[in-house]
Amino acid sequence: MNTLTLAWIALPFFAGFSIYLFPKLDKYLAICGAIASAAYAFQLFVMPSAVTLELLDNFSVTLLVDRLSGYFILTNALVTAAVIIYCWPTDKTAFFYAQILMVHGSVNAAFASADFISLYVALEVSGIAAFLLIAYPRTDRSIWVALRYLFISNTAMLFYLVGAVLVYKASNSFSFAGLGAAPPEAIALIFMGLLVKGGVFVSGLWLPLTHSESETPVSALLSGIVVKAGVYPLVRCALMVEEVAPIVEIFGVGTALLGVFYAVLEKDSKRMLAFHTVSQLGFILAAPSVGGFYALAHGLVKSSLFLIAGSLPSRNLKELKQKPIDTKIWIALVIASLSISGFPLLVGFGAKVLTVKNLGPWETIAMNVAAVGTAISFAKFIFLPRGGQTTAKPGFWPAVLLLLAGLIGANAFDVQAYTLGNMLKAIAIIGVGWSAYFLIFQRTAIKLPRMLEEFDHLVGFMSLISLLLFWMALPT
Amino acid sequence: MLEGLVLATVFCGFFGIIFKKNLIMKIVCMDVMSTGVIAYYVVVASREGWLTPIISKGKNVAYAYADPVPQAVILTAIVIGFSIQALMLVSVMKLARDNPTLESNEIEMNNTP
Repeated sequence: MNTLTLAWIALPFFAGFSIYLFPKLDKYLAICGAIASAAYAFQLFVMPSAVTLELLDNFSVTLLVDRLSGYFILTNALVTAAVIIYCWPTDKTAFFYAQILMVHGSVNAAFASADFISLYVALEVSGIAAFLLIAYPRTDRSIWVALRYLFISNTAMLFYLVGAVLVYKASNSFSFAGLGAAPPEAIALIFMGLLVKGGVFVSGLWLPLTHSESETPVSALLSGIVVKAGVYPLVRCALMVEEVAPIVEIFGVGTALLGVFYAVLEKDSKRMLAFHTVSQLGFILAAPSVGGFYALAHGLVKSSLFLIAGSLPSRNLKELKQKPIDTKIWIALVIASLSISGFPLLVGFGAKVLTVKNLGPWETIAMNVAAVGTAISFAKFIFLPRGGQTTAKPGFWPAVLLLLAGLIGANAFDVQAYTLGNMLKAIAIIGVGWSAYFLIFQRTAIKLPRMLEEFDHLVGFMSLISLLLFWMALPT
Repeated sequence: MLEGLVLATVFCGFFGIIFKKNLIMKIVCMDVMSTGVIAYYVVVASREGWLTPIISKGKNVAYAYADPVPQAVILTAIVIGFSIQALMLVSVMKLARDNPTLESNEIEMNNTP
């Protein structure tokens, strides 16, 4: 299993660089990388215990893969495969597929690493590859959005590096477990870096612009998996080091409410989806012990929603109310929207039930509010007029069908959720959300200022968030 | 003392990123910040001694040598920082064609919906 793990981490990079040598094989190599990860993830699910690898000594690379990483890896594999299938009939160059594999490989490495330096390398590589994917159209706007993304994530990672060396100073090792003995400033700096990278709470407000201005497949990839590379280490740290778990959970609840607040008032479909990413990441963080399953549910549904939003006749929700959309696309949109709202029979339901079961009492109330907000904002999609004639792109249906099949199939991971009480509760939440939509939010036209999304403010907020984290991490 | 100076470098870089208007200057400030971080790793490495950690004949084995681990680790970070810097400067070159002044708030205004 150890050799297999190392080979699996190396494979996407190897395949990615091979694409430069054999540009004709680009799509085939890319899809092979995704399939290999899926196979590896299933291997993890049947394995009885976790695999821990310590290369050289306790100073260096530590890897840890178990069921939790299995969920994240499976998400990565499915989303990457769907994006490759979506791009298959287009004339994307070999360079594009090579970068997809780089993202895939680096995110995989982040899901396997259990020390701060391997994680740093994986996150930076994923940042560079994501930068190249965002800037792929080479327009001024795409270059600016990509530059902004790289700048913010790199600045945050510099703080993270300072935090990492503080952990080393305290425990002579870079592994996650050393966080328990680390001083509060180390926790503050490392978490600030990860919160920015993962797009959580106020530090995550770079995310809406980046994810909404990228091309459709790139948005799906970014929202589906790249942000999870920043969230996974937070979940892992919360599980390994008890002292930091409350911090992670509080930020989870905060981001769930903040994201949903913006999303409910948003009038642009892609921006609304991006704000929902900010919000749904909160559900992953709020209950770290079951975060993996929620990450799978969210990755599948969000990437399918982004692919579908790319096939709608307009991005503006107001214009969409005038233009009827194709009935088949509408059905796919409704399935995905119901899943993210937590409707039974779809994986979003099981994931929400499992998350809520693992929450404390005050968190449950906040998360239910966030769930109602989710239902409100996705009512905007569900009640769009249908019957129009729009042709989807050729790669659209296979990719979306793969993701939707995943949404139904992943129910197998959690069949115990299907009790009458849970189902009634889920339907009640959706009912409350939809009635609130019809009574209030359908007519509101509040436009929130976008000041917090400006570059200077995003960088400035890093200092505030690290102060806040420092204060939270102080031993009481 | 040394630690304080190194951290001051990090903060100079960080505030430069916020307060400088020109995009090139912002990137240079980020480089200053990363120089500070790298120097901090070197400071941490030398907290128990600063001799080269190589055992040679005729020398006492138990001498105060610098910790090689942070130095090895920071090499990776230097390479990554350098490649990111290169990518950023290339994109600034592209942006400079349409925004010759390179003021970041102007570019931001032109390129956000």
